[in-house]
Amino acid sequence: MNPTKGGWLILLTLLIGMLLMVVHFPETWPNWLGWLRPNWLLLILFFWVIELPHRIGLIAIWLLGFLVDGLLAAPLGTNGIILAGVTYVAWRFFERLRMYSVLQQCGVIFLLVAAAEAIRVFVIGISSARQWGITLFTVPLMSMLMWPFVYLILIRLRTGMRVE
Amino acid sequence: MIKALFVRETGAGYLLVGLGVISCLLIAIESSTRVLEPVRGVLATLISPIYLIAESPYLLSSTVSDVASSRSQLQEENQQLQRKILELSQISQQYVALKAENDRLRALLGSQGRLPYEVLIAELVGVVPDPNTFQIIIDKGADAGVQVGQAVLDAQGLFGQIVEVGQYTSRVLLVTDADHAVPVQVNRNGVRSIAGGNGSLDVLELENIPVSADIVEGDLVETSGLGGRFPSGYPVGVVHSVVVEPTSTYAEVLVRPSALLDRSRHVLVIFKPQAQVAEQNGDLN
Repeated sequence: MNPTKGGWLILLTLLIGMLLMVVHFPETWPNWLGWLRPNWLLLILFFWVIELPHRIGLIAIWLLGFLVDGLLAAPLGTNGIILAGVTYVAWRFFERLRMYSVLQQCGVIFLLVAAAEAIRVFVIGISSARQWGITLFTVPLMSMLMWPFVYLILIRLRTGMRVE
Repeated sequence: MIKALFVRETGAGYLLVGLGVISCLLIAIESSTRVLEPVRGVLATLISPIYLIAESPYLLSSTVSDVASSRSQLQEENQQLQRKILELSQISQQYVALKAENDRLRALLGSQGRLPYEVLIAELVGVVPDPNTFQIIIDKGADAGVQVGQAVLDAQGLFGQIVEVGQYTSRVLLVTDADHAVPVQVNRNGVRSIAGGNGSLDVLELENIPVSADIVEGDLVETSGLGGRFPSGYPVGVVHSVVVEPTSTYAEVLVRPSALLDRSRHVLVIFKPQAQVAEQNGDLN
């Protein structure tokens, strides 16, 4: 068995996740729709870590965080530590997380995304007067609701493409 | 097996802490200095394709509508544009005369004449997704000579300023962002103030206006040029409401920005005249 099989699929899905983080509705639509954007990248990363923990490197994910910082105009290092932290937690408990029911996984997702959002808001708050508030609740909620769909799509891709 | 696993895991824990410390250092450095600006520029270049792909539906739709529109529609649009050009050229004729007169008067007063600004037309290619900040990505970057700090206008007024420059794209902070402020004056009487964003897309706040200041609803607010970052005389907005609380020292003056911050897809990047740039650099040195 080729141990590095299907790495391109992991990369591709992570890239799609980054794309989904910046795709937006037409400008004429109300601004508050932006609050409802799930943290797609975190969902996709979480999936790959609990499915294939040996394929995801902590440093690689931390470096990917810099690209996300550029994308979301966050201070450098913010998303690095968020993504690496989520990777670590998922990786530490991947056996247990895999056995969880979808509902339990949704709960874990809610907590992880809420923590990620809290870190992001805190770090941005250091050097910026941007408002914050409702996203601390809406982003985790939407991520949680989207998790079953992300999981179903990715598990199909993973088995279909035989990513090991 | 169990031992090996254990060792690996503690290793990862240390690694995570290490990465966390580096991240914190970077955040601290970036919040207090500008040394990481080149790094951000490189990152902006790397991620610009992602923004382009995300924006492609909108970029394509304008192209498609051009191709798909009928002959009569195009003719009508053409006529409208012709009329518009006629109107504008009439105004610009007046402008030339006024400018000449203004230069003469300035010469009489012994003050320096104003130099014309050059502009670069740029198109919007992305929007920063955080709903609490107003920033856009435009399709001109370092290779077009764009630099951090340049003012950006749209057809109606001041739009924002460049805050990050990649090779082919740059990021613009809009005037209404909570982190943005611009020195302004009232067009009617020259009362000076600072217009800061407060986090909603269509409101600017004039800061520290004394209750006795002569500002009324409908006044045009324009850039004052103080601070040297924004060229003077461009419209920023129109005073929308003036609230004077009997108990407070300052009046609450809200301004509606002139620029179509959520509509404009084409903006102008303002280049300062070379002489002025050299002068400013001389000042800095």
